[in-house]
Amino acid sequence: MDFLGFAVTQCLNALSQASVLFLIACGLTLIFGIMRIVNFAHGVIFMLGAYVGYTAIALTGSFLLSLAVTPIVVGIVGMSFERVFLRRLYGRRDGGAYLMVTFGLAVVMSEAIRLIWGAQPLGAGIPDFLRGIVLVFDQPFPLYRVFLIGLGVAAAIALWQFLERTRAGLLIRAVSQNSEMVHALGTDVDMVRTAVFGLGCAMAALGGALAAPLVTAFLGMGTTVVIDAFVVVIIGGMGSFLGSIIGSVLIAFVQVVGAYYFQELALAFMYLLMLIILVIRPGGLLGREE
Amino acid sequence: MNRKLGFATAAALCVLLPFILPQYTLTITVEALIFGLFAMSLDLMVGYCRLYSFGHAAAYGLGAYSCGMLLTHLQLPLPAGILLAVAITVLIAVPIAWVCTRSTGVSFAMLTLAFAQLGYAMLFRFKEFTGGSDGIDGIPRPPGPFGATFLQSKLGYYYLVLFCLFGSYLLCRTIVRSPFGAVLAGIRENEAKTRALGYNTRAYKLATVVLAYGFGGLAGALYAPFAGFASPELFFWLASGRVLIMVIVGGAGTLIGPILGGAGFLFLENQLSQLTDLWPLIFGSVFIAFVMFAPQGIWGLITSGFERSPAAARGPGGAEAPGAAS
Repeated sequence: MDFLGFAVTQCLNALSQASVLFLIACGLTLIFGIMRIVNFAHGVIFMLGAYVGYTAIALTGSFLLSLAVTPIVVGIVGMSFERVFLRRLYGRRDGGAYLMVTFGLAVVMSEAIRLIWGAQPLGAGIPDFLRGIVLVFDQPFPLYRVFLIGLGVAAAIALWQFLERTRAGLLIRAVSQNSEMVHALGTDVDMVRTAVFGLGCAMAALGGALAAPLVTAFLGMGTTVVIDAFVVVIIGGMGSFLGSIIGSVLIAFVQVVGAYYFQELALAFMYLLMLIILVIRPGGLLGREE
Repeated sequence: MNRKLGFATAAALCVLLPFILPQYTLTITVEALIFGLFAMSLDLMVGYCRLYSFGHAAAYGLGAYSCGMLLTHLQLPLPAGILLAVAITVLIAVPIAWVCTRSTGVSFAMLTLAFAQLGYAMLFRFKEFTGGSDGIDGIPRPPGPFGATFLQSKLGYYYLVLFCLFGSYLLCRTIVRSPFGAVLAGIRENEAKTRALGYNTRAYKLATVVLAYGFGGLAGALYAPFAGFASPELFFWLASGRVLIMVIVGGAGTLIGPILGGAGFLFLENQLSQLTDLWPLIFGSVFIAFVMFAPQGIWGLITSGFERSPAAARGPGGAEAPGAAS
């Protein structure tokens, strides 16, 4: 077997996995950076994205349209969560309350999804125009994964430009640094928080809608993914955007290499990496120690 | 005085319970008591140190697996197997606690979760030793010391569990009311200030985590020989989440609250999950309601007589200052 081709396809594989991980992790880290909230329900939001995406395809018949509709629908769901539940807890000194409310939401929402869509896994299938195969160094590689990499990179650049170049992005960064000052300067900080929470949920939903054709939408896909995303965010540093990119790529590579060479240890590898990084740098690679 | 009377009544009731309840409920009663003990062990961390562990299932799983292996392979007498399993759990807990207490808050929660998931993964890695996804099956209950067969009966086991629960409760109560417990309360309310007063807060937290693992391991070690098996699900994050829910709904920082919460949760789950498949939806919603509107939990509500005290706004653990009771 051609080793170069094999290595390159494995790398591409890892990168496509990193794209999906990044879509979840960037929302998680953004929400934490702005609101100091650890959204345990993020995995279930991702799962909701997969299910809504499935329904959108079934209703409209168009994969691309579902990619546009799903983030909007789930983003609205996320914003209403922030309004109804999280907002009431801002006065609380104890950060554990967020962790527990979002955990409760995760339980309730995964049950609600089971009741609405049923317990059977739902396969949306890869759309026809992305079903092909490309040859990389004479090794076949699925076109859909190339599409994933492209979209992941595009999303990362778009989000980065949004945070750095636009006025809304400026406000978000300002709130993460000193929300009271921003408030004093006449900005509706609560509105920014709601918007950021919705944006984070929308990104995760996009990830879910993209992952659904690969792995089919199944109950429990949220729980595995939320732990992976947390590991990514903790490795990269809570609240660091660049950290979430680095973390996603690192974890995706560990998962792909681990799954190939040490099948049973793949899970352990990921946690070991996190433990080592946390022991050396308790705040993550690019994070500040709290 | 009133409290002592209540405690004595509760103790007497528990001793007589097997004769009041119908026979078939004895199994679920034993499991409920074990879960009460498990929830109480987590309360040491959550209620007294504000260390939210998302991986306390690791303590339970460690206790259950080590007890199961000791009994299956070495045929030790039951009490020896349980005590040794607790010792093993405590030994493993020391390095885990050392790493986890390096961080606080969210990172602490995630590190404990990572250790529990690591344990979960390890069970599949060392299949020949742990049985992989099947777990350990057919864990025996070898005759007790000096050939006593008392603990092999279900009734005998009930009293063993009851004894362990009461003993652990009294021990924990002594701990949280001691000067050691006062320092824990200090860490809970303001860690920086406590450190400034000259206390090595990390050492206190480390000791608390190890203690909590020890009692959690005891609960697991009691469960394995009773159920006759130990499966990887014991380590899974949902098990950790369930016990955290029991602690918060029962009333964090009260010891009794989590015991009642754990036992009540298991009873309700057993009854309701047969009636309706909405059970997880119900307990999830109840949990959210408690976190949002009654962070002091059921026991906190009872002891404060439903009045809106300033403690209610302080969050879990603020309901009852250790040492203030009696």
